[in-house]
Amino acid sequence: MNQLLVLLLTAAIAVPPPPAPPRAAALPAPVERTLDNGLRVITVEKSDVPLVAARLMVRTGAEEDTRDFAGLARLTASLLTQGTQTRSAEQIARGVEALGATLRADADWDYSAVDVDVMSTNFPKAMDYFADVVRNAVFKKEEIERVRTQSIDALTVSLQEPMTLARLVASRVIFQERPYGQAAGGTPQSLARIQREQIAGFHERNYRPDHAVLLIAGDIKPEQAFALAEKAFGTWKTERRVEGSPLPTVPQTVPAPRIVVVDMPDAGQAAVVVTRRGIPRADPLLYQALVTNSILGGGYSARLNQEIRIKRGLSYGATSFFEMRREAGPFVASTQTKNESAAEVAGILIDELDRLATADLSDKEMAPRKAVLIGNFGRALETNAGIVDRLSMLALHKLPLDEIGRYVPSVQAVSATRVREFAAASLAGNTASVVIVGDAKQFLEALRKRFPQVEVVAVAELNIDSATLRR
Amino acid sequence: MLMRNLVILSLLITSNLFALDIKPVPFRHRTLQNGLQVYSVEDHSTPAVTIQVWYRVGSKDDPPNRSGFAHLFEHMMFKSTRNMPAEMLDRLTEDVGGWNNATTFDDSTPYYEVVPSNYLETLLWAEADRMGSLVIDEATFKSERDVVKEEFRYRVLAPPYGRFYYVITQSSFAKHPYMRPGIGSIEDLDAATVEDVKQFHSTFYRPDNAILIVVGDFEQTQLDGWVNRYFSPIPKPVAPIPRVEVKEPVRSAEKRVTDRVGNVPLPGVAMTWIGPAASSPDAQALTVAAAVLGRGESSRLYQSLVYTKEIAQEVDASADLRQDLGLFAVLAVMASGHDAAEGEKVLRAEIRRMADAKISSAELEKAKNLLITDELRGRETNDGVAFALGEAIVLEGDPGAVNSGLARLQAVTAADVQRVMRKYVRNAKPVVVTYRGQEAAQ
Repeated sequence: MNQLLVLLLTAAIAVPPPPAPPRAAALPAPVERTLDNGLRVITVEKSDVPLVAARLMVRTGAEEDTRDFAGLARLTASLLTQGTQTRSAEQIARGVEALGATLRADADWDYSAVDVDVMSTNFPKAMDYFADVVRNAVFKKEEIERVRTQSIDALTVSLQEPMTLARLVASRVIFQERPYGQAAGGTPQSLARIQREQIAGFHERNYRPDHAVLLIAGDIKPEQAFALAEKAFGTWKTERRVEGSPLPTVPQTVPAPRIVVVDMPDAGQAAVVVTRRGIPRADPLLYQALVTNSILGGGYSARLNQEIRIKRGLSYGATSFFEMRREAGPFVASTQTKNESAAEVAGILIDELDRLATADLSDKEMAPRKAVLIGNFGRALETNAGIVDRLSMLALHKLPLDEIGRYVPSVQAVSATRVREFAAASLAGNTASVVIVGDAKQFLEALRKRFPQVEVVAVAELNIDSATLRR
Repeated sequence: MLMRNLVILSLLITSNLFALDIKPVPFRHRTLQNGLQVYSVEDHSTPAVTIQVWYRVGSKDDPPNRSGFAHLFEHMMFKSTRNMPAEMLDRLTEDVGGWNNATTFDDSTPYYEVVPSNYLETLLWAEADRMGSLVIDEATFKSERDVVKEEFRYRVLAPPYGRFYYVITQSSFAKHPYMRPGIGSIEDLDAATVEDVKQFHSTFYRPDNAILIVVGDFEQTQLDGWVNRYFSPIPKPVAPIPRVEVKEPVRSAEKRVTDRVGNVPLPGVAMTWIGPAASSPDAQALTVAAAVLGRGESSRLYQSLVYTKEIAQEVDASADLRQDLGLFAVLAVMASGHDAAEGEKVLRAEIRRMADAKISSAELEKAKNLLITDELRGRETNDGVAFALGEAIVLEGDPGAVNSGLARLQAVTAADVQRVMRKYVRNAKPVVVTYRGQEAAQ
């Protein structure tokens, strides 16, 4: 059964030389300080390449968006670089790019962030623009209109992509309402409703030093990083504390699983998504979830890709992941396949969830999948941007920064029994919903055989603003 | 850029530029008796190593009526060899915390692994093994071909603008095999056979057509010994290596192509011109020109089409310079309510402006800084360094270009940029591709 074993038993064949003893990797050593205004500053020195990456993160993102104004956090972030009290959008772009820097702002579910990446010699100058857009964005009406139009056009394009649409529908199916049921990027209708008042309000409530974390990593000494942080953000004051309404919580009632087909007759491929609710980032079961997912769909040789791509040639790739958020975000297993094989692939995805919960799991299968997690973890910390990202997520979820040193042993400690328990409790196939976006006539009959309860919505009738999915 | 497994490797699209105060890449080079070129860069900052084998064969070498074959073949290189069962490369990389992939470019096909450095010898053995032999059966071949057909659908059919790029490639060359999109077509993929795979391996996959690059945590003498042990026994075939000799004719007239596809909400327009080879002394100036036109929100195309006139949703400019010749391109995806013709008019005006007057010194410096910073980001990892070296060798024919590229970039003047815009763009004929949804086709 095992090809490698067969190989070793065949005497005439050469075998690979065995590995030498491994060397341990060094982890980044963050140092931190809190400015008088409450801004937490975390920095890591890494001097092999003359670059610096920095992020200013505020602890609120799209989860705060109301139903009417879905997309507000993202729209606000997009507008930060489009004009401040002293600089126009063009002056910001020109000044930043003259330094060879990239400056980007975006909002995720739990946070909004501005990122800068620049040669270390130009970092002090880049900090000036970076702090200016965070603190002094003015949200001019004409810039709002421009970004609104662009955002709606971009959304219109992305809604033509089968997988993008399938993921949006999947979130609606498993969460139904806000926060996570709606689209973080909003809809063309909600984006059209947002006014300057909401944008400026979001900024005033959330972009403030005692609600923010600044991360700086790269070719810079900690003392210099703290001095630049003080210079750029030390005078940043919260004029008055504006309390927003409390963050919405995810309703505890889990809706019954659904099987949904969005019929898109000109889809060049079908997007197949199997989904259910996952776990929060700070959940004690985190490492069980990570190891379980690594076995199921976290990488090239994980089970989903083995079954769907390697054994059957049904896709370019199949994958699964947990989106770790403040509250339990989605678990997603997904792939794209030719329309006629969509039903077969949906069946395989569900079967693999069940196999994980029921069949035995050998150490021989576990060990490589843990190595994948550990290898990816180490490589992500080779770049400044990777270090900033990892530390900012720990800070966001109020986890100690030294958790970075517990990642490897925590992954290693997960046993096969724990994986099976976790899979049985959290990933059983009959608790998952299925969403397929594609040319329904090519797979609907086959799909009905396995899932008689399938609902079909024509793409022209689809309403992602409602849990019914219909207008 | 086509690869075995989908990842984003933005560093692959950068050119080889390098800042003056940046440590040069201290590569060593030697040639084995069988013709294999070996480059190595010792760096102990992480306990990991990158192994790359670049073959001088790419999509331009697809056999007749077999478009997409070089890429399909690349996938087969992960199947059985004399000593390895299918997917054993994954056992030796992914299973020990590393990764592997391969990319089929127009001119070359690099295969690469990143592994904990204690696995270096194992991977050298494996790369030598698949250079020496490939054992493909009918069932494996058909299954992997289905994967590649899914990759075609994934890249070309599913994304709304997938076919746009496909048609731009097809339309931009008159004779040169660069005209064949590397992903091929379903019909040509279906026509490929196991015999084609054997033929392709024996024709192109040989030590005198390959470059081995190792970057990371190793000892030089130990590496040299392993390379001798595993690669030296591979014989150098006597048959010559076939090379593409086709010359692309000078365009005598402007050409217009229109494509219509169902799921395209906003029209697009692209204009392309034939550019010089990557090794040309004009390469850096044309790369700077593309950055001035299309890099970032302060670029000319963004400021004009997206910001001021608000007629486009997305703009791009690129100098895609390859081994034989290059393609200079500008592109716009229109904003809702605006037609491709409007975009074409402004693209033409902006192109003319680049040729009529010198760019400002601020624009020149900005473009250089952006390009240098791109290059630095690539140097953060071993595989980034190895790719920069491989591209210098394959595209520019000069490994030293990995270190001399910056001086040449720094030397570019505003007059150079104007000169190359006149030479390759204003005084040449464009191919204009418009791309529309079915509804807008009236």
